[in-house]
Amino acid sequence: MLRFLGLVVLGALIGGLAALAAVGFVSAVLWLNDLLLISPRGRMMFAHPEALAIATVLVPALGGLVVGQLHRAIRERRPHTPADVIAAVQTRRGRLPARAGFLSAVSGLVSLGAGASVGQYGPLVHLGATLGSLGAKLLKLGRSDDNVTIACGVAAAIATAFHAPLAGIVFAHEVILRHYALRAFAPVAAAAIVGHVIATNVLSQGALFHVADTAVPQPWEFAAFIVIGGLGALVAGAYMHAILAVGRWAARLPVVPSLRPALAGAALGLVALWVPDILGMGQETLRFATIEGAFGGFELVIVLVLKLTATALCIGMGFGGGVFSPALVIGTLFGALCGTLIGDTGLAGDTFVFYAVCGMVAVTAPVIGAPLTSLLIVFELTGSYVLTTAALASVTLASPIAAQLFGRSLFDIQLANRGLDLSAGRGRALLQSARLKHLLSQDCVTLNPRDSIDDAVASLGHHGHGEAYLVDDKGRYHGSVTLADLEVMRGRGQGQRRVRDCPRTPRPVLGPEASVWSAMHQLQDVTGEAIAVVDDKADDAFLGVVYESSIARAYLQYSEELRREEHGTG
Amino acid sequence: MARVDHGMRRACMGALVGLTIMLAPSTYGDEPAAAALTVLSWGGAYERAQQRALFDPFTEATGTPVEVEQYDGGIAELRRAVAEGDVAWDLIDMTRSQAKAACAENLLDPLPSELLAPAPDGTPAERDFIDGALNRCSITHSVFATVVAYRRDAFPGRRPTSIADLFDQQRFPGPRALQRTPAVNLEWALLSYGVPKEEIYRLLSTRRGLSLAFERIDSLENLHWWKAGDTPVRLLAENEVVMASGYNGRFFDAMINRDLPIEILWDGQVQEHETWAVPRHAAHPDIARDFIRFATSSERQAALARLIPYGPSRHSATLQVTTHPDSGVDMRLHIPTHPLNTERAITKDDDWYARSHTRINDYFQDALLDDREDSGDR
Repeated sequence: MLRFLGLVVLGALIGGLAALAAVGFVSAVLWLNDLLLISPRGRMMFAHPEALAIATVLVPALGGLVVGQLHRAIRERRPHTPADVIAAVQTRRGRLPARAGFLSAVSGLVSLGAGASVGQYGPLVHLGATLGSLGAKLLKLGRSDDNVTIACGVAAAIATAFHAPLAGIVFAHEVILRHYALRAFAPVAAAAIVGHVIATNVLSQGALFHVADTAVPQPWEFAAFIVIGGLGALVAGAYMHAILAVGRWAARLPVVPSLRPALAGAALGLVALWVPDILGMGQETLRFATIEGAFGGFELVIVLVLKLTATALCIGMGFGGGVFSPALVIGTLFGALCGTLIGDTGLAGDTFVFYAVCGMVAVTAPVIGAPLTSLLIVFELTGSYVLTTAALASVTLASPIAAQLFGRSLFDIQLANRGLDLSAGRGRALLQSARLKHLLSQDCVTLNPRDSIDDAVASLGHHGHGEAYLVDDKGRYHGSVTLADLEVMRGRGQGQRRVRDCPRTPRPVLGPEASVWSAMHQLQDVTGEAIAVVDDKADDAFLGVVYESSIARAYLQYSEELRREEHGTG
Repeated sequence: MARVDHGMRRACMGALVGLTIMLAPSTYGDEPAAAALTVLSWGGAYERAQQRALFDPFTEATGTPVEVEQYDGGIAELRRAVAEGDVAWDLIDMTRSQAKAACAENLLDPLPSELLAPAPDGTPAERDFIDGALNRCSITHSVFATVVAYRRDAFPGRRPTSIADLFDQQRFPGPRALQRTPAVNLEWALLSYGVPKEEIYRLLSTRRGLSLAFERIDSLENLHWWKAGDTPVRLLAENEVVMASGYNGRFFDAMINRDLPIEILWDGQVQEHETWAVPRHAAHPDIARDFIRFATSSERQAALARLIPYGPSRHSATLQVTTHPDSGVDMRLHIPTHPLNTERAITKDDDWYARSHTRINDYFQDALLDDREDSGDR
């Protein structure tokens, strides 16, 4: 009980830290944007058009240069993102690396400050998670508690950045933890509340979208919202795959990786001379897209395509930063396009903003894999129930269609590409990432193939085992023999023959990197005591054996830990 | 009992302030006795109130006569005068945005905040003044607002409630009058699209935002552009227009003192700081600073706010605002800073205007004024 309360207090503390970090981050981005002539306000207040044009190209390019150098200091040579947080929590690895985490935050800050078309929520989420994990590490807490503190940091970051505590709590559960346990809920809620309180007292940011008077859509319009959801899923798919495709394409470019972001920045700046809407997070563009008549229909298509391309270019070429804010802009532009088309038919009333918000939710929910969070963000930011139900209609189709066609979220697709498949749930991912190495035992009988069968039987009898493994002088593995087969040969009077003449039982072997999951699968085809572990990369070197009972024990232990983490109350 | 105490304290403070002022001239003994303070102010009801609450009491307390000249804002005159080294005014009553612009151009003397008097309870001036009141070359003395006023008899059975109604000539038909400047008009135009007030200047910084705003203003039929602050009141009084923008003080004067059938729409009010500033090469900068200390005391600020409904820039003064000395109107409801009036109040972004006004003005001229010269201010 005391321990549980302690965890709640720790959650609140981490929430406070993460919220302050988020406030600092957001303010620093705004300050940099004004200073570096990225924000429209900064640009309007700057008097020299020629210098402004030069800065538009130079600032993102130089920002890219800095970011590229920063990434050289990170082991993976790329900024860490929420995907890394998800991987750490889902595989119960925890312990996010602090150094890489803070470097990633700085990378995000520089990228956003220099006007790259990326989002700020990704870096904020990762920064919050890093702070949470750091707290758990300093207090030497276990992995389950580490997961909870990570979720606390994430929830506080979202609660602060969006002024939306409920969305923060749900995001932490829906995207990061992916299970619901009271044990995690209380600390996460505490963190979100602290974040919210800090945000309302420090950040004087207006609501993301403001709806003056809520016209009520006609019944048929809800059908339109559902269809927008379906189409939005396709836009989301195009967005996600554009990012991945640019990443693959960039890897083949004959340019040093650390210079790629600078290249993307220069390209972004050049296009921004013509369409400045694509610079930065695009909060102004987002707002305009909710205003009927701010964009022409054709203009919407242009800005949408350019924003999507610019974001894919920036993220694919290695800028640090999130995918959420650009998705908000792209989605809102898409919704505005739908609204404009429907408005042209003359059937709809004063409901333009509904279409914009539906498009926004339909694109963002699949990208981050969080339909509930997206809905709550709409609800908490607008306070409009009608608008939330419209968004609900839209997300109904968007999320499942995108999940079927593309995957649960961009993060999941990225993780799957890195070899962590979360599509079958956490239990499997955990077992797949759990290595066998620590189960490896040397407590087994090894025989030289040239040993005589009599000696082999004696040796097995002496050690009390029923199986032996044939390993030659060079340590190579040559299969296994059972005591029963040896006895049969000895019974036939062949006791002086070599062990290598004994019929071998066909047995699968495991590689040194095999996971508990694959071992468990091999077990289905094996009757015996243990499975040999052989490194086929090192000329079939015999490393030892893994006993069936220890595989089963490990399996049960992991399942039990998950069960306790996900269903325990305290 | 408490009331008596309060009165006693105020009397004491008054005496104290008087004493300070009486003693002040001796510090500047070499100042010729006949030296007059020349103040540049805005004229009209505003100047009458200043005369009664500030200028006359100052002359009474110090013996220094105050001469007042009028202008309609702008720093072009000041720029010319400073350049020629022939500045005719000792003190200028200017908007904070223009004061900032003038300060950046080195047209004003710096004003240290030490010259300000503390609040009656001893709170230092730095904490008693509202946020953003103390600047390098200017000190905010009151907060005024540009608001929309409408004729009560123009829309039978209806009242405008939102700034969007200014642009809604379907529901609220009739001619409009707006100030011939981009300021305030652009803000209202964007507000009418449902843009939250926090984002107004961010969006106005984009060409898209400006075009949206111009489009909205351009859609108005039968629009009069006014320049001088008393024109909108006259246009409303003569029924030339049914809705007009204007300074809340002028509208109040027309409503209360002249019984004009008009009403103020507080939604979307754009608040501005009105400041005192001392121009460079002023003839009597010391008297000007003495006057600033005198006029920004809590007592004088409250006295001014009882005559003309401008929100005092000191917290201590706001608490002292009571009824109008002649009409008995409760002035607290008529000052822009009253909570009932501030629900959707915008504070004019001076920095933004200070650094972009030439460009914004050009865009404004190009978009709206060229083809409207004929329907301009009468």
